[in-house]
Amino acid sequence: MAEPSVSIVVVGGGSGGTLTANLLTKQLANEIHAGQVTVHLVSGSQQHIFQPDYLHVAFAGQEPAELVRDEHSLVKQDVHMIEQSAERIDLKAQSVTLASGERLRYDYLVIATGSVPNPKAIPGLGEAALNFHTSPEESKKIWDLLQQFDGGHVVVGIAGVPHKCPPSPNEAAFLVDDYFRKRGIRDKVKLTFLTPYPRPYPAEPMSRVVEPRFQKRGIEIVTFFNVESVDPAKRTIYSLEGESQSYDLLLMVPPHRGADVVIESGIGDADGWIPTNKNTMRIVGYENAYAVGDATNIPVSKTGVTAHLESIVAASNIASSIRQKNELYKYNGRIHCPFEMGSGTAAFVIGSYNMPVKEIQPTRIRYMMKKGFAKFYWQTLSGNWDWIFNIYFGETHTVERT
Amino acid sequence: MASTGSGVKPTTVVDSRGTMCPGPITDLFRAYRNANVGDVIELLATDPGAKSDTDAWARRSGNEVVAVIDEKDYVRIQIRVVKKGKQ
Repeated sequence: MAEPSVSIVVVGGGSGGTLTANLLTKQLANEIHAGQVTVHLVSGSQQHIFQPDYLHVAFAGQEPAELVRDEHSLVKQDVHMIEQSAERIDLKAQSVTLASGERLRYDYLVIATGSVPNPKAIPGLGEAALNFHTSPEESKKIWDLLQQFDGGHVVVGIAGVPHKCPPSPNEAAFLVDDYFRKRGIRDKVKLTFLTPYPRPYPAEPMSRVVEPRFQKRGIEIVTFFNVESVDPAKRTIYSLEGESQSYDLLLMVPPHRGADVVIESGIGDADGWIPTNKNTMRIVGYENAYAVGDATNIPVSKTGVTAHLESIVAASNIASSIRQKNELYKYNGRIHCPFEMGSGTAAFVIGSYNMPVKEIQPTRIRYMMKKGFAKFYWQTLSGNWDWIFNIYFGETHTVERT
Repeated sequence: MASTGSGVKPTTVVDSRGTMCPGPITDLFRAYRNANVGDVIELLATDPGAKSDTDAWARRSGNEVVAVIDEKDYVRIQIRVVKKGKQ
């Protein structure tokens, strides 16, 4: 009698989940074709969104439809897609319960359920502020409102931590400044940047790059402003530190939390982040369950690039275990966040667990690289282009014999 | 509970050891959001910027750094929440 097939379940169809599923089918092609391994991808949404371009929908008028592709077009043929949301994950019983009620047993699990912007965590924020982290449609509302805005106080900032894409609040301030300059009404707009951190960008070396540029553009910086609440009627935002700012237009990045399925399954911390080994990407306490991308609690930026690099490690560790190769892949915490600084320039935020973020100046070439990567994003999800990443990023993980 | 070294018993201990900036200050803010006036938050950090960032935040916000205790491989920073919100 043939041995039962090894079941790998990947939950979540964003960057991390899609890439992990594709990499697994690539690395385990022989086993899959021999009927020994099945890779399931569980995703309630069949729309895959390139989220970094929310900024360009909100502040440069990009069409929302340009950000979206059908998930089927991005997933390899050998991936078994399950078009349902996961309702519950039981790590001890090794099962995932689907929306239909069906229970899916797994031998290996990868949770890639991302993060959820949570404006409701701050009283008044949802009613008072627009954001560029929720959806293409929400971002489009900002663009529509900017067209009608003829002057006043625009407040841009961070309403809570953590949030995905750390440079995005700063990028928004630069792009708002660009927008009003192009319209020729910058002198009628007061622009303020609110941050809970001690400086305009949390990592000091990059803050040294941002701060003089904000000053030069007349963007006022308010630090140590942890948003407590917003009063939409008074158009005033309050901080836990006891300060307040009035506004005419409020554009704030909401605090984020983990996905509903993580919270409801009781497998996350108080905010729904999954306790995860920052090197192996294994969920703490489990040898056969992994988490990648925004869903984890590991101390790196919540970005597509980190999700990509973590997915390589998780997929390689599962493939190694199934093939009994005695190799353990370990992510080194490499981050590489594109950082747009207005006027068609960009820098990158680069660091790792052992390499503090360094100072990188914005250039036109780096902006072109950022734009080029956005076009290339869809191809990177196939896992066929990691050789380019390997050349460009250098070492992003190590491999140990076990 | 282990001795604090300052004689102050923390209400909440936040372990940010192994995280780099902005890890410790981010964890402190999350604890501050959930704290009540009078609580003492103890932040454990290995990042060298944690002391100065915490000190600057406390001075600006009117909260109090009760103690900074250098352990062998990390620092323990105790912060008493004196001020929070629209008071």
